[in-house]
Amino acid sequence: MSEKITFKELVEQISKQSEQSRNSANSFIHELVQIIESGLSANGSVSISGFGKFELRWMNERSGRNPQTGEEITIPGQNKVVFKPYKALRENVNRPYAKMKAQILGDAQPSTSIPEQDEPSPDPLEEDIFGENLSEHDSNEENPFIFERSKPEPKKPEEPLFSEPEVPKAKELRPEPQPVNVLSPADEAELAKEVEKNGQMKWAYAASTIVVALALLIVFYLMQNTGEPADMAFESTPDEQIESVQQPQLAMMERVNLPDETGDISGSDSYHINQGETLWSIAEKELGDPFLWPWIYQLNKDSLENPNRILNDTDLTIPSLSNPENLSSDQKEQIALGYLSVYEWSQTHQPDEAKFFLWAVGEFSPDILDQAAQQVDSGDLAFAKIR
Amino acid sequence: MNYKDLIDQLAEKTGLPKAKAKERLEITVSVLSERLSEGVGVSVPGLGTFTTEVKDVRKTYNPHHKKYMMTPPKRLVQFSPSAGLKGKLKFKGESNE
Repeated sequence: MSEKITFKELVEQISKQSEQSRNSANSFIHELVQIIESGLSANGSVSISGFGKFELRWMNERSGRNPQTGEEITIPGQNKVVFKPYKALRENVNRPYAKMKAQILGDAQPSTSIPEQDEPSPDPLEEDIFGENLSEHDSNEENPFIFERSKPEPKKPEEPLFSEPEVPKAKELRPEPQPVNVLSPADEAELAKEVEKNGQMKWAYAASTIVVALALLIVFYLMQNTGEPADMAFESTPDEQIESVQQPQLAMMERVNLPDETGDISGSDSYHINQGETLWSIAEKELGDPFLWPWIYQLNKDSLENPNRILNDTDLTIPSLSNPENLSSDQKEQIALGYLSVYEWSQTHQPDEAKFFLWAVGEFSPDILDQAAQQVDSGDLAFAKIR
Repeated sequence: MNYKDLIDQLAEKTGLPKAKAKERLEITVSVLSERLSEGVGVSVPGLGTFTTEVKDVRKTYNPHHKKYMMTPPKRLVQFSPSAGLKGKLKFKGESNE
């Protein structure tokens, strides 16, 4: 940060706090500085409790170059003044981040663990800040999908007639073994900005940053995958053609699974959609986990045309679920089927994103993914298999 | 020079009682530290400039657990000595390593 206060302001603050005149505060600091200087010159170190330690460090003679002429010169040995902040200062300075812990993202090797196991932190602040940080591209509602448990975002005001869940974008679905994709340096820069602006950022600005971040990610991903043309997210036309053939089959397959489903749900409730709600928000409110929204979609597929856009004032069937942390395998299958339905829908409407939903199918239930393997696009399947 | 010596000298030079000198030093330090914790740089003439730098969230790899982690952001305090201080101490006590 480049913001600085002047010495005058500093003296003013000190004099106010210590109830002394500005003059005496000023001279006090000057004395302090002189003592530090003489202390450094006498002992080579000055320690100020609760703040830090000033030290002299001897730098040996080394060779360097004159940056202007390129001429080689010898830089003579000299003292360097270094400042080492003490713990108290480090902690004080890091207060905004103190509640944040390192989040484990996944194994380097393929793992079978399901992200649901991540403990959502009990502390709202932690989730908050970190969520924001994590989600460089989903700091809006665009990712019902990210499994890193980023913070569900504040809902933006929506048009009165419709409620829409975020366009499912699911960049985070990217398998962890390819860290480059998930967090490219460019994104990190993006992210840094967001950390700073946290909170005050205007939606419009957020949206544009996200779009940029998403575009970067896609480009990155494509560059990495040039060897697998089937995976190209932009080749939507072939996908669509295949899709039209596949859809009936897919639909049939799901119908076969459907009887199971109704039996599995321990009970289901009716839910009245209010203004401004999305499947994502409903899933968060009713099921306790926004990532389960495709489940609701699955149960209401007949009445919902577009999972991104749900009509105000309609009733939904909602599965009742007491503990989102502990899903039974049947329930996971239901959710996987939900994601499969969303995948199916996405293939026609947003082919670029479809494969991420397929990936999630495998995340909840590898069996369902295997069953569906025949009917889905091979490129998408290859992507979905990456863990 | 340790903290005690510093306070002793400070009391001597300013003519304040030691307790008072200590208190003032603590206030000075707390003001500096407060500003820094807000991400505001502070420059002290004759001494140097304190600034902070935010180390961003980054992805790290723990080779022992074979896991990737998101490391939270961190703020570092940086100090760059003023030209005067640097110049005066540059060739002091060349023997000490």
